[in-house]
Amino acid sequence: MTDQMEKRLADIVLYGSVIAVLIFFYIPIATLILFSFTQSRFLSWPISEFSTRWYGELLADRDFWSSLGNSALLAVLATLFATLLGIGGAFAWSRYKFRFQWSFRILTFAPLLFPQLLLGVVMLLWFSVLAGWLNLSPGLWSAVIGHVIYITPFCIVIISVQMQGYDDTLDYAAEDAGATRWQILREITLPLILPGIFSAAIFAFLLSWGNFYITYSLSGSTRTLPTFVFSGIAVGSSPIYPALATLTFLPALVLIFAVGRLRKRAARRRLSKVAEG
Amino acid sequence: MAEMQKSWRDGALRLSTLPLLLLMGLFFVIPLIMTALLSFQGTQYYRLVWTWDTNVWTDVFSQIHYWKIMWRTLTMALVCTLLCTVLAIPIAYAMLHRLSRWSDQITLLMVFAFLTDAVLKTFGWVLFLDRSGVLNGTLEAIGFPPAAVNVLFSPNATMIGMVYNLLPYTIFTTALSMARIDRDLVLAARDAGATRLRAFHEVTLPLAKPGIWAGAVLVFVLSLGVFLEPKVMGGGTSPLAAELIRQSFETRVNWPLGAALTLVLIVIGAAVLAMAGVLAFWQARRGSND
Amino acid sequence: MASPIIQATGIEKYYDTYRALTNISLSVANGEFLALVGPSGCGKTSLLKILAGFEDLSGGSLVIDGQDMAGMPASARPTRMVFQKLALFPHKTVAQNIGFPLHLAKRPKREIDTAVRRMLELMHLKESYLNRYPHELSGGEQQRVALARSMVSQPPVLLLDEPMSALDAKLKKSLQAELKHLHRHVGTSFVHVTHDLEEAMMLADRICVMRAGEIVQIGEPSEIYYRPADAFVAGFIGDTNLLPAKIMQVGEGFEFSCDILKCSSPRLDAEQVAAGVAAGADALLMIRPEMLRLLALGETADCTLAGTVREYFIRGASIQYRISIDDTEIVMDVPGTSVLPAQQGDAVQLGLSLSDLFAVEA
Repeated sequence: MTDQMEKRLADIVLYGSVIAVLIFFYIPIATLILFSFTQSRFLSWPISEFSTRWYGELLADRDFWSSLGNSALLAVLATLFATLLGIGGAFAWSRYKFRFQWSFRILTFAPLLFPQLLLGVVMLLWFSVLAGWLNLSPGLWSAVIGHVIYITPFCIVIISVQMQGYDDTLDYAAEDAGATRWQILREITLPLILPGIFSAAIFAFLLSWGNFYITYSLSGSTRTLPTFVFSGIAVGSSPIYPALATLTFLPALVLIFAVGRLRKRAARRRLSKVAEG
Repeated sequence: MAEMQKSWRDGALRLSTLPLLLLMGLFFVIPLIMTALLSFQGTQYYRLVWTWDTNVWTDVFSQIHYWKIMWRTLTMALVCTLLCTVLAIPIAYAMLHRLSRWSDQITLLMVFAFLTDAVLKTFGWVLFLDRSGVLNGTLEAIGFPPAAVNVLFSPNATMIGMVYNLLPYTIFTTALSMARIDRDLVLAARDAGATRLRAFHEVTLPLAKPGIWAGAVLVFVLSLGVFLEPKVMGGGTSPLAAELIRQSFETRVNWPLGAALTLVLIVIGAAVLAMAGVLAFWQARRGSND
Repeated sequence: MASPIIQATGIEKYYDTYRALTNISLSVANGEFLALVGPSGCGKTSLLKILAGFEDLSGGSLVIDGQDMAGMPASARPTRMVFQKLALFPHKTVAQNIGFPLHLAKRPKREIDTAVRRMLELMHLKESYLNRYPHELSGGEQQRVALARSMVSQPPVLLLDEPMSALDAKLKKSLQAELKHLHRHVGTSFVHVTHDLEEAMMLADRICVMRAGEIVQIGEPSEIYYRPADAFVAGFIGDTNLLPAKIMQVGEGFEFSCDILKCSSPRLDAEQVAAGVAAGADALLMIRPEMLRLLALGETADCTLAGTVREYFIRGASIQYRISIDDTEIVMDVPGTSVLPAQQGDAVQLGLSLSDLFAVEA
C-alpha cells in the first residue's frame, strides 16, 4: 500500500472514530432533549406535537425544587471539602517525600477504584451503625461525606497534574528575597496552581451534581435529583424526566462554557501586551 | 521537579495529610472492616443477628448460583475492558494528531457527556433503543421492518451501557500517555523506512502502553461494580454481582450475604490492581536495566 | 584594612558520604567581584548555595557582613541570589517581580514604586515594561529584570549562579560588559559562579579556581593566567602548550632542559616557577599560544621551536596554527592578516621570549 493510500485510510479511521464516538456519547442526551419537548403524556415515537408543557409541570412540582436544592447544597459542600482536601493531598502526593508515602497514596486513591455501589453500601452499613449510636439517621450529611471520599481522589489527581510542571526554583528565589514559608505559599505557589485548583473544583462540583450511586445509598430519605429521577422512572415513565434531564444539563453546560471562556481570556491577556512599546 | 523531604513532625505535612487520612480512615477503612465483620454474621427472620459463623461464606462458595453470577460479572467486565481499551486508541490518537486544534472543545464535549447523570443517560438509551423507540422509529421510516433492532433488555444492551459509561476513562489515560511521546521518535522510524502503520505499531503503541494498561485496569475494576446498566438496559434478565448485592441489602435483607459478596468483589478488584501494579513495577525495572 | 564582607573558614560539605567541599577558606573584600571557576562537579555551586543559605555547612564557619551565618535561613541573610534559570515569577508583572523583596518586607507602596523605577533606570529597562509579564521579554531583558530584583533591596552581597550560561555568544558579551559596569557603579560585592574562565577573567577582581571540592588557586586574573598554580589551572583556559622539561636549581634561579625547545640561555627566575615544583623534578613549561611568533628567515629569539604546519583555523581577529614538532603538537595564535603568514605543510621556526615561560609541576 502506498503511503498516500495509507494516509487516506488512517485519516478515515481516525476522524471516523472521533465523530462516531461523539455521536455515540450524545445519543441518549439528544434523545432526552428531544423527548422533553413532546406534547403527549407518553414517551412514544414519533413525536406528533411539540410543546414545553412538561417544563412547566416540572417547575411547578414542589418535590423537584426541594430535590434541586438538596443537590445543589450537596454539590457545593462536597466541592468545598473535596477541593480543600485535594490541595493538601496533591502536595503530599507529588511535592513531598515522607515515610509511608506509598501507603498514603494507595489509601487516598482507593475510593476512586471502588465500584461506586460498593462504596455506598459499605459506608451505609457503617453509617447505620453510627446512626444507632448517635441517634442520627443518614441524610445530607452522610451523602456529603460519601461524596467527599469519592471525589477527593479526582481532585488530587487533577491538581497533581497541574503541579507536575511546577518549577521549584521559584520557591528558592522567593525565599532568597526574604519570604517566609507561608508567604511563599500565598504569593507564589498557590497563584501558580490556581488553574488546577479551579479545574478540580469544577470537576468536583459536576461529579457531585451528577452522582447517583453514592447519593442513592447515603442520602437516606433526603431526596436529591438523581434519586428523585430513579424513583420516578421506577414508577412510570413520563416526559417530565427528559425535561428534568435537559434542565440538569444546564448548570453543567454553563459552568463548562464559563471555564472555557475564562481560560481563553487569561491566555489572551498574556499575549496582548507584546504589541505595545 | 525536586521533592521536599519531610518528616512527620513537619506542620505542612501534617496539615495536608492528616485531615484526609482521618476522613478516609473513619469513613472508608472502618466501613470496610465492618463489612468484613458483617459477613460472618447471620440473619433470622429478616433481622440481623450477631452470631459468629461462616454460614454465609460456605453458601457463597458452594452454591452454583453465586459462582455463575460471579463468572458472568467477570466475563462482562473483561469484554467491556477490551472494548474500551481498543476503541480508545484511535480516538486518543486522532485527538492528538489530527484534531489537535479542536482537542479542547472535543474534550469539553466528552467531559460534559461524562459528568451528566448516569440514570438519565441510561434512561435516554432506553428511549432510543426501545422496540418502538427513536432508532427503530427512524429505521422504520426509511423502510426497515418494524422493531428491527431488538437489542434492549439483553446482555448486549448492558454492554453498550457499560462501554458508554466507561469509555471516557480509557480515552483519558491513553491520550495522556500518548501525549508524552516524543514526536521525533515516530519521525525517526518513518525516516528509517517504516510505513505509518509500522511506525505506529513499533513506536507509538509500545510507548503508550503504560497509559493503555492504566485505563484497562481502571475500567476493569470499575465495571465489576455496575448495576445500573444491567438493571435498566439489560432488563434485569442476567443480573450481575452488584445487582445481587443491592438486592441483598434492599429487598432480600440478607446483609451478611451482601457483605460477603461485596468483599469477594473487592478482593478480586484489589488482586487485579495488585497484579497490574507488580507488572508495572517489573516493566519499569526491566526498562532501566537495558 | 577593612574587614572582609565574607569570611569563610575551613568549610566542609558532605552529601551523605560524598565529600563535596574540603577545607574551603576564603575572604571576599567589601565591594570586590570574586569569580568561582571550575569544571562541573568541582563544588562551586555547592559553595554558592552555602553562602546563600540553601545548604547547611557540614563543618567550618561562615561570617557575612559581621554576622555568623550558622543556623540562619536564606530569607534572613544579607545575600541576594541571581539564579541560573532566572526564576522570574511568571504570574507577576515586571514591576511586581522587581518590587517583590520590598513587598515581602511590607514596605509602603510609594517606597516600592520609587525603588522599582530606580532599578529600571539602572538596568536600562524601558518604563513601558513595568506592566509586562516576564515571558513577553527577550532573554537579555529577563536577565536584567532578575538582576534588578536581586538588587532592589540593596544587599551587601550579590550571588550569581552562572546566569549567562544559557545565552548566545553575542548576548553574553554585551551582558558581561553591562554586569561589569553595574558592579563598578553600585559597589556591591559580587560572587559569580561560572565554568568559563574567560568570562571570569573579564569580570572579576579576583578569581578562585576550584577542583574536586578544593580551592586550587585564588588570585587576580593576570596571576591566574600568567602564574597558574599547577597544570590543571594552566590548562583550564583555552588551548595551552605544556612542554615536558627538567628543572634544576642553580643559585637563586633555575635552569631547565626541554627536548623541543631550543634556548640560547635556558634560565628561569624564581617567580617563573610555580610553588609546587621541586628541584631536579619533572616539570611542564607553559607557553600561551599568543606568546609564540613566526620567525622570518634569519630572525632570532631567546628560544626557538622548529616544526611543520599541520593545520590552521582562521578566527577573524586571530589565526590559530597547529604545528607538529616530533610527536608534540604546538598551538600558536597570531594576529589575523588577510594574507596567511604560513601554509599547511610549511616548515616554520617559532620564536619565544624567555620571560614568557612559566614552569608548573608535572
